[in-house]
Amino acid sequence: MTTRTKEIIALVAVALFVVIFYIRKVAGRGAIEFPTWLSMLVILLILASLLWILVLTIRGRLIERRVVFLYVGIAVALPLFMSLTQKISVSPEVKQLYDAIVELPEGSKVLLSFDYDPPSAPELQPMAESIIRLCLQRDLKLIIMGLWPQGPQQANLALEKVFDDEDIAAKNLQYGVDYVNLGFQSGNEFVIQRMGGSFQSMFQSDYEGTRYEDIPLVRNVRNFSNVDFSVNFSAGFPGTVEWVQIAVDRFGLDLGAGNTAVQAPQMYVYLNAGQLNGLLGGMSGAAEFEDVADYRAKGTKFMLSQSFAHAVAIAFILIGNVAFFMSGRKSRLKGD
Amino acid sequence: MEHFALWLGAFLTLGILSFLYKDNAWYKLSEAVFVGISAGFWFATLFWDNLVGKFWDGKGEEPMLWVGAALGLLMLFRLLPKVGWLSRWPLAFIVGATSGLWLMNYLASNIMSQVQATILPVFSSGFGAGFDADLATIVGNLVIFVGTFTGLVYFFFSKEHKGVFGGAARVGIFFIMITFGASFGYTVMSRMSLLIGRIDFLLGDWLGMIG
Amino acid sequence: MGQPDTAPLDTAVFADSGAVTVAPVESLLAEDHKYDNGRAVDLSWVPSIDDQLVDSKALGYRVYRIVDGGEADSLADLPPFAAAFTDGSVERGHSYVYFVSALSPSGEFPSVHTAPVKPEREWINLSRGWLFLIMLFISAAVIFFVETARRGKKLFVRKIAGLEAIDDAVGRATEMGRPVLFIPGISDMDDVETLAALTILGRVSRTIADYDSKIFMPVSRSLVMTAARETLKASYQSAGRPDAYSDDMVNYVTDEQFGYVAAVDGLMAREKPATVFLLGAFFAESLILAETGNSVGAIQIAGTARPAQLPFFIAACDFTLIGEELFAASAYLSGEPRMLGSLKGQDVGKALAMIVILVGVVAMTMSEAWDVGVMENLRAWLVRVFSTS
Repeated sequence: MTTRTKEIIALVAVALFVVIFYIRKVAGRGAIEFPTWLSMLVILLILASLLWILVLTIRGRLIERRVVFLYVGIAVALPLFMSLTQKISVSPEVKQLYDAIVELPEGSKVLLSFDYDPPSAPELQPMAESIIRLCLQRDLKLIIMGLWPQGPQQANLALEKVFDDEDIAAKNLQYGVDYVNLGFQSGNEFVIQRMGGSFQSMFQSDYEGTRYEDIPLVRNVRNFSNVDFSVNFSAGFPGTVEWVQIAVDRFGLDLGAGNTAVQAPQMYVYLNAGQLNGLLGGMSGAAEFEDVADYRAKGTKFMLSQSFAHAVAIAFILIGNVAFFMSGRKSRLKGD
Repeated sequence: MEHFALWLGAFLTLGILSFLYKDNAWYKLSEAVFVGISAGFWFATLFWDNLVGKFWDGKGEEPMLWVGAALGLLMLFRLLPKVGWLSRWPLAFIVGATSGLWLMNYLASNIMSQVQATILPVFSSGFGAGFDADLATIVGNLVIFVGTFTGLVYFFFSKEHKGVFGGAARVGIFFIMITFGASFGYTVMSRMSLLIGRIDFLLGDWLGMIG
Repeated sequence: MGQPDTAPLDTAVFADSGAVTVAPVESLLAEDHKYDNGRAVDLSWVPSIDDQLVDSKALGYRVYRIVDGGEADSLADLPPFAAAFTDGSVERGHSYVYFVSALSPSGEFPSVHTAPVKPEREWINLSRGWLFLIMLFISAAVIFFVETARRGKKLFVRKIAGLEAIDDAVGRATEMGRPVLFIPGISDMDDVETLAALTILGRVSRTIADYDSKIFMPVSRSLVMTAARETLKASYQSAGRPDAYSDDMVNYVTDEQFGYVAAVDGLMAREKPATVFLLGAFFAESLILAETGNSVGAIQIAGTARPAQLPFFIAACDFTLIGEELFAASAYLSGEPRMLGSLKGQDVGKALAMIVILVGVVAMTMSEAWDVGVMENLRAWLVRVFSTS
């Protein structure tokens, strides 16, 4: 059978798979969940196959990179069907952010800056939803803005999700009184600088076009000194670094942050220096916050996949190192 | 409409992922659509938010906006070779303004605050605590102090890395590499998170296989 | 500065004999907030003696403000134990009087009024005086070394691993008959990493011109394309090979990050360069580029100051310039006085930081562990100097 034929057969199989399950979904059939025994069997099969790959590597038969891609895909996808849960242990910096929010008295104003776009949503959206939910549960007022164009849109998506919650819906929160979305403003760090003097100079109207002075929630909010706490959700530049350098160091804003896992290591210096009041790093940070806030959502759901993917990555790093040392040994035996 | 959006999203996602197998027309189509839409999106956003939202809507209220607009127009002179030098003025303004802002910000946040935070009592848990630190705290304080100090030694370019100085630089590069390893691990987690998000869309939102 | 006066307490609300009375706050002080644009007033007070952790009678505090002798307006409600408040909604040119009421279930118990306070603007933030002095010191060091370099004195810069490999890498490309690929990052000309990359390009391209190799340089920003073409042209001219230069060596691809990556990957797959330079500001595309270069068998020399991308370059490239080594390399290779002087001036800043950290840790450790008084004073002084608030 030629490669072309195999590719066509694979494509047809995938297409059939997609059609069957889409029809199943439209027919109203629910989600698939593996029973515990099946989950354990799947885990054992994956482990056994990894061991087999290790044996092949020791024998000198190296696998190609597409097999690695396949394993990572399986490691990410299969846990989503499993009913197993992963124990989450909460880091001190996550607890710090949670405590900072719950210690705020009712009616406090919290500034949320959405500085990310859809590519970073898998990491930052769950933490944004958790923090918004916690703030609204505790009757805090939310002032939302963004230094990235899609940031305020992500905020609206998070609000929509949170308002589906019965407890939050029962509060009958009013836009403009309990929360407001001021929208996006270009200018990067210069926006933060100007907000230190006057919010209104940067946001003459909100996301819907209502004039700033006509919005009850922000009418008397001149600058950072009228805000009780702030959380920044950041995926890059402009982001937490600029907020720390300008809003915290110059204007004394009390700031917590949620970052993608790529950025999080760089934020620990600010956390240790007391410039950040709490930090959530990546999807694990989101899961930990959900745990401490006692509301399990996507962050928690995805942690098992995260752990499996990491385990597979570690396994292949070990296998790769075995291959490396074996090839070095072969060269020495051949006298190269 | 929702069905169409789901299928389109899935089609483009699978098209990009097909590159993992090999380069193909499906990938090229998905990638071209992505590049085109992102270019159009940025154009529309910058036009409506900057030109219209900032300049046109506010032109009567803030005279400085006209100065900004004039500097922006000067950038376009880059297209005319004879007067192309005019485009250097707005660039000089941006570089100068950014440098001025960043100089004090970085000095304060990334140097002064960090130096202050590195001044730690090795054998104490905090100010006024006395000689009370446990082993973990002592090790932690020493790691911060030694790591920061030797890292600075490594990036000192005015002295050759020899003798004691060279030894300290070697310790510094060890700390730096360990930091990079941790950063690498965090980044792997970040990339896996993005993949999990896409798989959740495909298997959950699109095919309804997971809840 | 506002001082408490002895105005009669005529606004207290007293209920019947079952009322819960609380003592008002004491020592209420209103001061102009220092080092601002005259937009804030700071209040401080001693909380009510009835504000206790257990069986407290006080429910909190309410801050009132009187503007220019008018009516009293409520500003804010504060929780128990609050002892300070900043009124950030004042205007210059007006006079403000404040009083704070302690709240109980029965009503409010106001304090005496403060004397009128007028917010003032300060032109200079003296609390950042040390920051300014340190900035001046480092700037002076930079200027000193720049002038020293301009006068022709040779400034020592230590050897940087990876720089010696540049000539060998270009030679390899020549021997194999394959091109050199130079990628200056994806930032624009306002990013100092891009400037460093273009400086190194000047040196690399002279070697390429000498060896008669081929160079490809796809860029992500139009301004970088213009600057890179000027740099290459000058290099080929100084190597005596102006005829070998062509504008097609540098081409603009797209501003879109992953569109650029896709195009460069395609170029690598087709042209199979022997040497790849990845120098400048990179983001998420760094590993994709480095991995593709690795897969076509190229020798790769990378350098960036982005901490998040350095691990990928170190894992996938043959030589990596870490962080400031990129700037040091550009100063070393160009020999330009301004760049060398800046590098030396920064070293002075680093030396200052190292000395302060060492002295501070010793002082802090001795003052905490062995209660050495002079060390405690030294530590407190250092922490104050390096405080940014």
